Parts: sequence; C-alpha cells; structure tokens
Amino acid sequence: MSLYFGSGLRSDLNTLKHRGRHRKSEEMARSSSSTKDGESFLALFHSLRSAYAATPTNLKIIDLYIIFAVLTALIQVVYMGIVGSFPFNSFLSGVLSCIGTAVLAVCLRIQVNKDNKEFKDLPSERAFADFLLCNLVLHLVIMNFLG
Amino acid sequence: MTNLSIFLLAIVFSSIALFPISTLSFSPESPTDRRILVLLDDASIKSSHSIFFNSLQKRGYNLDFKLADDPKLSVQRYGQYLYDGLILFAPTTERFGGALDLAAVLNFVDSGHDLIVAADANASDLIRNIAAECGVDFDEDPSATVIDHTSYAVSETEGDHTLVASDNLIASEVILGKKKIEAPVLFRGIGHSLNPENNLVMKVLSASSTAYSANPTSESSKPPSLVGSAISLVSVLQARNNARVMLSGSLDMFSNRLLRSGVQKAGSSNKYDKSGNEQFVTELSKWVFHERGHLKAVNVRHHKVSSTDEPAIYRINDDLEYSVEIYEWSGSSWEPYIADDVQVQFYMMSPYVLKTLSTNGKGVYHTSFKVPDVYGVFQFKVEYHRLGYTSLSLSKQIPVRPFRHNEYDRFITTAFPYYGASFSTMLGFFIFSFVYLYHK
Repeated sequence: MSLYFGSGLRSDLNTLKHRGRHRKSEEMARSSSSTKDGESFLALFHSLRSAYAATPTNLKIIDLYIIFAVLTALIQVVYMGIVGSFPFNSFLSGVLSCIGTAVLAVCLRIQVNKDNKEFKDLPSERAFADFLLCNLVLHLVIMNFLG
Repeated sequence: MTNLSIFLLAIVFSSIALFPISTLSFSPESPTDRRILVLLDDASIKSSHSIFFNSLQKRGYNLDFKLADDPKLSVQRYGQYLYDGLILFAPTTERFGGALDLAAVLNFVDSGHDLIVAADANASDLIRNIAAECGVDFDEDPSATVIDHTSYAVSETEGDHTLVASDNLIASEVILGKKKIEAPVLFRGIGHSLNPENNLVMKVLSASSTAYSANPTSESSKPPSLVGSAISLVSVLQARNNARVMLSGSLDMFSNRLLRSGVQKAGSSNKYDKSGNEQFVTELSKWVFHERGHLKAVNVRHHKVSSTDEPAIYRINDDLEYSVEIYEWSGSSWEPYIADDVQVQFYMMSPYVLKTLSTNGKGVYHTSFKVPDVYGVFQFKVEYHRLGYTSLSLSKQIPVRPFRHNEYDRFITTAFPYYGASFSTMLGFFIFSFVYLYHK
C-alpha cells in the first residue's frame, strides 16, 4: 500500500503512528474517556488531510475522477435495488463502465506516481496513452452491451 | 372348358367371400376384435356355455372352436396372426396341441391381441403360468377353492358354501358398462392374488372379507394362504400395448347354468330371478375385445395465436395454441370422448408447462399458453392413462429459439439512468483527459 501511494504519505503515516503510541501511553496513564476517542479520530483525520495535501496535483485530479466514478456506480446499484434488475445488461454495462473507469484510473495513478520505483523508467506520457487506449476499448464494449 | 370356368368362378366367389372378412378384422380404424379362437378341453363346454358364446357371435365375432389338444393348433401363419382374440376355456390342459405353448400365448398378447383365461379347481400348471405372467397368482394348493360362509348363494341344500355370491365389483363404468349390475355374481372356483409388482393388473370382482381359500372336503390344518378381500375372483390386465387380458378363477361363472340361475345372497332377503353373471361376463367381454374404452387421438395441431400455420420453430415467450381431437370407439363408430382431465405438457427433460385441455364436447381439446423463457428442443406431450381406457401417449417435437439480436427492446425507460451513467462516465473521461493534460 505505502509502496504504491508514495513515500510522502508514508512518512506522515509514520509520524502519526509514533504520535498515536505516545498518546496511547498518556491515555493509559490517565483514565480514558469517550471524548478522548473523538479527539484522536479528529486528530487522525487532520493528519491524514495534511499528509494528503502534500500529494502532487495530477494525482489529486485522478483521485477526484475515481471518486466520481465510484459514486456513479453506487448510485446505479441503489437504483437497481429500487427498480429491480430488469434490463440487466444495461445495469451491468452502466456499473461496469464506472468500475472499469475507476480501475483504469487507479492504474494510471500507480504508473504516474513519482514515488513508485517500479515504474521509474515508464514516461508518464506513455502511461497516459495506455490509459486512453484502454478507455477507448472499455467504452466500445460498454456501448455494445448497453442494449 | 367347363372345368376351367367353374374353377375361375370358384376363385371369384372365394375372393368375394374372403373380402369382407379381411376388411372386418381388427385394425386401428375399427379396433374391435373379429376373429376369436376358443380353446376347450372338452367339446361339451361349447354347449354348456352356449349363452356366452352366442352373445359373442350375435355381436359379430367369428368364433373358431378348437380342442386345446388339437395337433394342428396355431395362432399365426406366415408371421400373420390368424386371430384377434383368444379364449382359453381349457383349465385342465397341461399342453396345447400344435405350435401353441406358453411363449406363443404371451407373444400373442405382446403383439397387442386380447385374451380371456378361465381357470378352475385343479387348474393345470400351463394355465397357472399364463396367469402368473399376467401378474395373477392362483392359490398354489391344487385342491383349494374359494369358500365363504357368510356371502354364499343360498340353495336348497346347505352345501359347502363354495358357490360364492359376490357384489364387490370394480367401480368403473368403462369396464363394466353404464348399467349397474344389480344381482350378485355367482362364482365357483379358485381364488387368486395380484402380484404387487405388476401395477397394470386390477381386481374386477373380489371376494368379501369373510372368504378364504381352502380345500372344502378336508379339515384344514394350517391357516389358508389367501384370506378375505385380498382374494380376487376375476381380474383384468391392460398391457402397455393396450392388449387386454381377463383372468377368472372360475369356468363355471360363464356357464349357462349359472347365467340362468336365480340368486339369493345369504343373510339378504333380496332374491333375484337371474344372477348378475350374464351382464357381468357380457360387459366384461365387450371391454376385453375393445368394444369400449378404446381411445384414439388425431389431428394434433399447434400454431401461434396470431397465425394458423404450424410453425417449424417457436421463439421464447410466443403465445401458442394447441389442439388435439380424442375419440372413443363405441363398438361401431368413433364417438367424441368427453373428459375434463386431459393435460398437455410442454416438455424438455421435465414439463415446463402443464395445462389442462378444455373440450368443446365434440372431441376437440384445446388450450393456449405462453412458451417458457427457455430455449431448446421441446415436446408437446399428452400422456393420458385412465382406468379402463387405452392409454394415449402423444409426443411431438418442436424447437424453441431465443430472441434474434434485433428482436430485443431498445431504449427502455427503466434503463435510462444506466445510459446516463455510461455517457456521463464518457464525458467525465473526456473532461478528465483535458484537465489532466492541461493543468499547470
């Protein structure tokens, strides 16, 4: 996980871990309470956010795109739960186009991330070209199956 | 010259004489038997049972009386059966004469011909074996007869109660005729039980619950092997090829003496001038020789609701109509068969559709249904097996295909969100590409 999502996030997570440990010992020294839990959750959220702020913009764009695709897929699943599975091929193609898009975007994100040593030799232009080609094939299939 | 013309005339006359006989014989179009071989072990039976034989002859049967040990006995010649039915009134015959034996009798039945067997006390092994092949086991004790101390026929002398008066008849109008047999049926002979493994054979006349099978002249030391209403007196069998067999444990019940005799059942004040035997044996012989209860199914048709032509293939979810005509042979003509329990199956490994057919009272059975949402090779099946009627088994193969590619619905309203999602994903992809490529 940390390998793929980059060391920027990793270092922050490490500090978070240390801090958490300190906090835990402090908590054990004092008597723990529910307000402490809420506080620690808030602290976790804040540190995650500050860690994410260090992520490069192109990766952030990709993340936004992934969230968009997954949300669209979820909306369709809920819709299918309400109206039933009748044009099942349409439902499948609708959901799979979103899932496929999300998967391809994740692949692109892995390949263009500078922290990934594995794809160090792969130019980001080449990665984007692969992404384009795969999307074309995906949407061609989706259009055929949409019915 | 004169000799030759006489010879030619003889040929012409004999062929004219033969012609109606050949057209009157058994055929699928007129299934009543015509030529019947009667085997007797004593020529006197022909006169002592003349009422039964006369009633057969009066109904148009051509009876051929032969002694059971006639050395020229044969039921077939050149692979063709000479007779449509066989009456075995030869209970004591150990061996038939000529080419007839147990196997020949069974082949006769296996090829769809009918058989009446009457046994008696001291029935021979041959007769017992023929019965056993038909699922009827006569009491193995050769001297045993059916005795009933409560439902015997009252006579002047007290007697040994071996003349049983029974009215336990099968409740079937098709086997015993529409008219109820009022008087009890007289029976003097041996009882039998039905082989439980044979589910085609059934009791027509059974003994009362107080009957038993034993030797009436000797003190019984061990309990009788056949007791109560398990004893069958007369049974019939309709084989899977619709051949009909009647097995009786008594030859006497066909005799003029019992047909003409009055009857009063013990313990009953009803006295009948005439026993039920004549009606019983006449009606039963009508059934055995296919004067009644013979069905045929013709004109199996099916088509789509929208057209009248019979298609070579159906599509899933087609609406179709199915019709078949069923007639019953009345002995002289085909009458419409009326029932409300004829069903058709739309069958592939198992019935996908099972519909009861409705009748118009003129023999046409009809129904309509929707082809199931499954494609494959189906059959229209009618399996009609009813007590006393010949069984109908029709099947007609018909393939069912799925929708063609251009037969599916398009632009279904329910699917619009899915369409929208697909296109918005594409649009999203387009925008993403721009944003990704041109952000600073």
